[in-house]
Amino acid sequence: MSMPRRAPLAGIRVADFTWVWAGPHCTLQLAHLGAEVIRVETATRLCVTRMLPPFARFQPGPNRSGYFNQYNQGKKSITLDLKRPEALEVARRLCAASDIVAENFAAGVMDRMGLGYTVLRELRPDLIMIALSGYGATGPDAHKVSYGPAQVPLSGFSSVTGYRGHPPMHIGISYGDPTGGLHGAVAVLAALLHRARTGAGQYIDVSQWETTMAVLPEALLAQTLNGAPPERDGNRVPYMAPHGIFRAAGDDDRWVALAIEDDAQWARFARLLGDPELARDARFATLAARKAHEDILERMVAAWIGGRSPEEAVAALQAAGLPAFVAARNRDLAEDPHLQARGYFVTLEHPEVGALLHCGVPWRMSASDSRVRAPAPCLGQHTEEVLRDVCGYRPDEIARLQAAGVLA
Amino acid sequence: MDAALDGYRVLEIGTGVAAAYATKLLADLGADVVKIEPPGRGDPLRARGPFPGGAPHPEKSGLFLYLNTNKRGITLDLERTAAHAVLERLVADADLLLHDVHPTAMASHGLDWERLSRINPQLVMTSIAPFGLSGPHAHWKATDLVSWSAGGLSTLNGDPSRPDLPPLKAFGDQSGFQAGLNAAIPSLAALFARLATGHGEHVEISVQEALAAILELTFEFWPYCGLVASRLGAKPIQPLCFVECRDGWIFVCCVEEHQWRAFVDLMGNPEWATMEIFADRLARGANFDALHLFLSEYCATRSVAELYEAAQARRIPFAPVSTMGDLLASEHLKARGFFATVEHPCAGTVTMPGRPYLLSATPWRLRRPAPLLGQHTAEVLAPLGFDVDALAAERLV
Repeated sequence: MSMPRRAPLAGIRVADFTWVWAGPHCTLQLAHLGAEVIRVETATRLCVTRMLPPFARFQPGPNRSGYFNQYNQGKKSITLDLKRPEALEVARRLCAASDIVAENFAAGVMDRMGLGYTVLRELRPDLIMIALSGYGATGPDAHKVSYGPAQVPLSGFSSVTGYRGHPPMHIGISYGDPTGGLHGAVAVLAALLHRARTGAGQYIDVSQWETTMAVLPEALLAQTLNGAPPERDGNRVPYMAPHGIFRAAGDDDRWVALAIEDDAQWARFARLLGDPELARDARFATLAARKAHEDILERMVAAWIGGRSPEEAVAALQAAGLPAFVAARNRDLAEDPHLQARGYFVTLEHPEVGALLHCGVPWRMSASDSRVRAPAPCLGQHTEEVLRDVCGYRPDEIARLQAAGVLA
Repeated sequence: MDAALDGYRVLEIGTGVAAAYATKLLADLGADVVKIEPPGRGDPLRARGPFPGGAPHPEKSGLFLYLNTNKRGITLDLERTAAHAVLERLVADADLLLHDVHPTAMASHGLDWERLSRINPQLVMTSIAPFGLSGPHAHWKATDLVSWSAGGLSTLNGDPSRPDLPPLKAFGDQSGFQAGLNAAIPSLAALFARLATGHGEHVEISVQEALAAILELTFEFWPYCGLVASRLGAKPIQPLCFVECRDGWIFVCCVEEHQWRAFVDLMGNPEWATMEIFADRLARGANFDALHLFLSEYCATRSVAELYEAAQARRIPFAPVSTMGDLLASEHLKARGFFATVEHPCAGTVTMPGRPYLLSATPWRLRRPAPLLGQHTAEVLAPLGFDVDALAAERLV
């Protein structure tokens, strides 16, 4: 007899005042784990991601953005005009009925709305509150404004990322957002375990800047140990060679990443090149030698990969036990037979965009129920339901608030 | 109880950044983490550096010292079946076993979930694998660069004006860090679930999936619009770009029109800014080459700090392109106490990133530096009844 699967965070409610990406990425993890995540939105100031492309079939609309719909799967949405005192009362009732309050406004905004931790703790003594801001809730720069793309240079990533001899570079996404959000989810789960054992809640202050530096130790320690940062060096690293991304055959800009981790792998790669003598060539036999001759080494790799389709090159390299993969594009991922076989993608019927492909949960749990439970909510889709079932408003009170424009 | 995870016992079998970072997060929150390393060379990250003076030394790798704060360390040769009885005894008392041993080597390392969960039905075992434990690529190999590419990230970064240059990775072992974060989350969730159910479970993380989960708005361009995202696509909105100042680089960031108008005002309302080709953010994106020339001319006479502060004073979200030296000197980070200084018996005084979050009731705390190779082997194994000298004689520890 098998027991019904139970979600790890079944019965845990999150009042989610976050927006853009960092905060929503944090609460997305909690939704995957079965928490009831209720996003508090304002129709007069829509979440940035509701207004950003891609819009389903190029038709704009607040419920049609792939960006919003990816990172808000499994959540509910209510709309409140938080400039209105009656709306703040709804928000306070929601927080009092929640285990976790999450926000990523600039430091001080929640306090000014009367929704700061000291106020909410009075309503709900075991509350766990998490603030995810760009610079953190305290410190001389706490008032500064931060946007996702600016976190990459601020955190130091750009100064060490780039082609050799070229300017600093971005890293392709607003990396501080998911990195901050995931660290936030770790902190919330630890605080839940602590609360379960002690009954005590707490306040968690996450700075995206700091969480992003927490994943940059190699560069920071180069500075503290030796007084100098690493130079921008493209795709090369000091501890493996060859190590790069090389253009495959064809004129459609397809590339293959290859890393040779040790001498044994180099010997196997030399056989693949059809020249086992290379394995004994003193110029390439050791890591130090390969690093010293990396330019010529990369020309040999580029010639071999450049003569093959990306799929053919990767299949041959992996068959030889060598780490390699195409530089996958969004389409390659969507069509990846491996990801499909694992059931990674989610296609749930969304009321406005239909059943489109979304990325799912990157982990599997053998006993717990962990999955994407619902598509992202339409704006205000759950306002009535949440006011009635969570905040305890009567239907006539809800109608009055609605008529007064509070629920917008 | 002054630490959130006080009393939780964790075993780590780490071969890279992923498992080590996941358990560092737990150790820094108070869990008792015992790291199991192969005797002799130890964790491969001991060889990675950066090293003081550039001289490799197994006890002085900066990355290892950072990833293993607050852990104890033992040696155990899991490649030999004779060591599996020791692992099983450790598992009997553990809450969580977290590893990133490749799926093709799990069985030979004694990492058999069916068997371990019979020994300890409350055990949570977390397995991190480049492509997960199932599916046609489960046995494939990957490194940071390969995972970053397999997850769809490297293809997003490059220079649109230089299609000859390859897709570009981010600095450091970011696949490992992201996988570690994605392992810590369901591991903690499984421990939380266990409070209600009383039993453990097996948790599996695919590094490729963890990376595909952070593609921002780019993944959905395919299912939503049938468009392939590429590093060669120009940014539609400008300025969001790097510009060189007198003494370094700044990131010029005007997303909203009011931010651009404030920046134009800060520049003293130059005549070029009134040109039609810069009329709105899309026009500035379409005419980026010209825009960048004007911005470069302006910024070349300013210092990074002066421009950053002046922009921020007008609520324009500029950021400096921080160097490592800038970060270590930041008054803000000092006031928040971000960097930690560790006293290590071999490496000496080492400054490194400290707490990634502030928890009011259970503060982040540094209790001990990274373990020396095998430092706690006797301390951990002797009380369990093992004859550590005999194990050493057999070279099992």
